[in-house]
Amino acid sequence: MPTTSTPPHGKLVWIRRLLVSLAVLALVVWTVFPFFWILLTSLKRPLDVIAAPPKLIFEPTTENYRAIFIGQQRGLYASARPDFPLFFLNSIIISCGAVALSFLAGVPASFALARYSFRFKEELAFLFLSFRFAPFITFLIPLYILFQRLGLYNTYPGLILAYQLISLPFAIWMLRSFFMEIPLEVEEAAKIDGCSWWGVLTRVILPLSLPGMAVTLILGFMFCWNAFNYPLMLAGRQTFPVTVGAIQFISYEQVLWGQMAAASLVAVVPQLILSLFIQKYIVRGLTMGAVR
Amino acid sequence: MGPHCVTGTTGRMVTPHSRARRREAWLPYLLLTPGLLLLVGMLYPFFLGAYYSLTSYFLQYPHLFRFVWLGNYLKLLQDPLFAYSLKFTIAYAVVAVVIQVVLGLGVALLLNSRIVGRGVLRATMLMPLMMPPVITALMWKVMMAGTKSGILNHLLSFFGVGPVNWLGSVDFAAVSILIIDTWGNLPFVSLILLGGLQSLPYEPYEAALVDGASGWGVFRYITLPLLKPFIILAATFRIMDALRIFDVIYATTVGGPADATMNLHMRAFWQAFQWYSMGMGMAYAMVLLVLVFLASYLLMGYWRRAAEETVI
Repeated sequence: MPTTSTPPHGKLVWIRRLLVSLAVLALVVWTVFPFFWILLTSLKRPLDVIAAPPKLIFEPTTENYRAIFIGQQRGLYASARPDFPLFFLNSIIISCGAVALSFLAGVPASFALARYSFRFKEELAFLFLSFRFAPFITFLIPLYILFQRLGLYNTYPGLILAYQLISLPFAIWMLRSFFMEIPLEVEEAAKIDGCSWWGVLTRVILPLSLPGMAVTLILGFMFCWNAFNYPLMLAGRQTFPVTVGAIQFISYEQVLWGQMAAASLVAVVPQLILSLFIQKYIVRGLTMGAVR
Repeated sequence: MGPHCVTGTTGRMVTPHSRARRREAWLPYLLLTPGLLLLVGMLYPFFLGAYYSLTSYFLQYPHLFRFVWLGNYLKLLQDPLFAYSLKFTIAYAVVAVVIQVVLGLGVALLLNSRIVGRGVLRATMLMPLMMPPVITALMWKVMMAGTKSGILNHLLSFFGVGPVNWLGSVDFAAVSILIIDTWGNLPFVSLILLGGLQSLPYEPYEAALVDGASGWGVFRYITLPLLKPFIILAATFRIMDALRIFDVIYATTVGGPADATMNLHMRAFWQAFQWYSMGMGMAYAMVLLVLVFLASYLLMGYWRRAAEETVI
């Protein structure tokens, strides 16, 4: 669609421009303000957080960050939670493990689904896709029972396996959509040159889809990082990822707003950095490759 | 028999070439094996769960375990709490999707028009998109403090409104969750529709310009119909997620106050992990699964038809 604009007519254009500017301003404030406010909250002492009216000017402190990282806490509400570095490490271990396993299974699977024809191919592809849309609770309840029995509860391997429900369907559909973009002629040429299927995969398909694989890797990692509901019941204190870790600051006795804000900000740092690299592909990733 | 011919297990003559072809026939299954193993690992718990929904499985009372056929589902039908959760789940999803699509269309049109700093604005819009929903909810929970110390109430007080007990009152809890959900997902709808706007053909607009159509007329009779497949696609993804919304509710109200925001997902979670009634929890989960499946099936069909109609 062309970015049409009616020919200028003095005052009308001026009003229109003003309205558009106001809309843009509103959009920016709406998007950015929550980040700004959580940053302020993370720098506040407990009494500043609950001050009414809310304080814009206060004496900033780093004690919330120190509390979540090294458990050092001064002042009124002493409650050290030095386990946040562990939660962060857990998130990295589980997300990397889940994405690695999904790639091991997903690369050959999506190569088969992109390049070969066989019975029940589309049905199989849609079966994988359907996990993306099933409510997580349909898996969480039986997995909780199974994991307790199998000794997988509160372990990295258990969580990595559970995360396959998130990362494997995603990896298969994204990689398939990238593999299908490679023209068939390239593959035919390689075959005529005497390449076996292995040669075609490792010397043609994989090198040509490296950017696509990088995008799938990063987005898969980010989706695993965002996961909250599986680890909520399948992980314990030693294996909590940051998403479950951040909510631990809310308890029946008290809510540690400042520390929770600091933890929330730290938890999304990888997301904010990684999303810079894959801006163009986020929508494609969120729609499992349906929207290019 | 020639040196290049081998007898296969069936006793027929097989040339090396056709043996290679036969191996090709098996190849996709070989490639799929690791994926299929994981798939079985996913399907097994699913069918186990479906089976549990037909039993009276209490985690702490294993001796009460019985196969009750459709007993749990019949119980659901008579339960007013189930009726409320079902109504709330559907109503929330419909309202959320309508609001987010309408606002998303506005934002997409804004991003598509000639404005200063469009690229920066677009990049900013991506920030909420990749946030963990539970962290998004915690961020808003700070701002939505029910007293006068909450920044939202402070801002509203300039207009003489409030203080609003955002997440703590039956009237506002669902609205608050809708606001949080919209903040996180409006960029998704906007970016899909923006992609749609940028892919629209020029010809109808040129024709409209010649005919001297007004801005609203162009939008109503050209842009909107052409954009229909994109709108339906965005709505499909959003409605499937809105029916299953969990993280935001868990981090803010946990289904309260007084069950006001208790959707099917939350209720299934409570049944299973608060009352340890795994059978009832799975029954709730299966109803939700059917609901999501029906919604996606209907909308996907609608989307396919719309996409076919608008092909130019």
